[in-house]
Amino acid sequence: MALLEIHNLKKSFEKQEILHGIDLIVDRGDVIAVIGPSGSGKTTLLRCLNFLEHADEGQMVFDGSAHDLHHIHGKEIAAIRKRTGFVFQNYNLFANKTALENVTEGLIIGRGMDKDKAVAIAREALAKVGLADKEASRPSQLSGGQQQRVAIARAIATSPDVIYFDEPTSALDPELIGEVLDVMRALAEDGMTMIVVTHEMGFAKNVSNRVIFMEDGSIVTAKESKEFFEHPEDERIQTFLSNIDRKEA
Amino acid sequence: MNDRLFELLVDSFTKILIPGLTMTIPLTIIAFSLALVIAMVVAMIQFAQVPVLKEIARLYIWIVRGTPLLVQLYVVFFGLPNLGIMIDPFPCAVLVFSLNEGAYCAETIRGALEAVPKGQMEAGLCVGMNYFQIMRRIVIPQALRTAFPPLSNSLIGMVKDTSLAANITVTEMFMTTQRIVARTYEPLALYIEVALIYLIFCTVLTKLQSYGEARLNRLVGVKTTR
Repeated sequence: MALLEIHNLKKSFEKQEILHGIDLIVDRGDVIAVIGPSGSGKTTLLRCLNFLEHADEGQMVFDGSAHDLHHIHGKEIAAIRKRTGFVFQNYNLFANKTALENVTEGLIIGRGMDKDKAVAIAREALAKVGLADKEASRPSQLSGGQQQRVAIARAIATSPDVIYFDEPTSALDPELIGEVLDVMRALAEDGMTMIVVTHEMGFAKNVSNRVIFMEDGSIVTAKESKEFFEHPEDERIQTFLSNIDRKEA
Repeated sequence: MNDRLFELLVDSFTKILIPGLTMTIPLTIIAFSLALVIAMVVAMIQFAQVPVLKEIARLYIWIVRGTPLLVQLYVVFFGLPNLGIMIDPFPCAVLVFSLNEGAYCAETIRGALEAVPKGQMEAGLCVGMNYFQIMRRIVIPQALRTAFPPLSNSLIGMVKDTSLAANITVTEMFMTTQRIVARTYEPLALYIEVALIYLIFCTVLTKLQSYGEARLNRLVGVKTTR
């Protein structure tokens, strides 16, 4: 059974439809790269999945339980959010909390976990992203790459079923991108289910098992990564990929 | 300076300072504390866009900010008795000052809440916290750091505004000075003296503000990154 199914998700902003009925099936262990030109609705789709945007229409089946995306109840949202993680483009670490507190907050406050247990889990998560020595640092004392790794530690600490990544390396200086991608690759190898909106074609090609290409609020194609990059038959995809090649050359 | 005047100033210093300590300072502390409570509630109502209450909050701020403090004092102290509502001078001053300052501080706090990046709330939701938990633990602490300097400004402003309470017969520092002037005919020296005492009070508050900011920086972490 699929972990997550989305059917006919529609979203408009001020009468302009941004997503025209998205269908998506995510299996456990999938690492899905969502790519496409800017303005294609990738980020909006991801935000709808975690209810940061309220979809106008559509159904979600999360681990077997069905929800109407438009008429969903606050309690259902809270329950689903507790089983997911979200990593933002600009990290969004809690500015008034240390790295360790950023990770424990969701455990202690969000889930009512015992403090000692939460701290142990948080330390383990920070170690996993290579920041065991930074637990007492505030976000303002960390580099962008370090902040994003703390954000990933915050997301994995709650043992989510799936983590959504919204352009996790787009705000980073080029020399810091690698450290974040390394952590994400390690997560993927651990079998974490991930949906990653990204412009990093290397990650899409080498780490993700499936690629979704979006344009103008629709999914143009969804296929195995290898297949996607080796045989990009659609003209729009070819244009997109060659544009990226040109930028990177 | 002749001896007589010097003696008068020394003699009146404690006479002015005592109502400063027993009236001006308690009035400021009580009224400002109430103002902060009012401001916090009014700011939160607007920030959370609570229907109806939000409109009432705007109306309150509109009226208070659009009318002079002195007129507000007169309406409550001299006007309300027409409706059979009599309030003693000190509680009346507390009421008017806290309602007045509450409106200004509400705007300060609302602005500070809105200055906290939206991503802080979103990140909180995504780690499974609810709205109130995020407000209390993440958004409000950061907003208070932002609001602290302008709120200190308001507090210092209020110390001086309490002199208006003399108009409704609260015997605070300024009224006490006026009485001594009426008796001694030394307005220049005495009004400068009371001005200096206000200056001392405000200097202490300014020092406290720097101390408070340094402490808050340690407590809350320095400014949000974005």
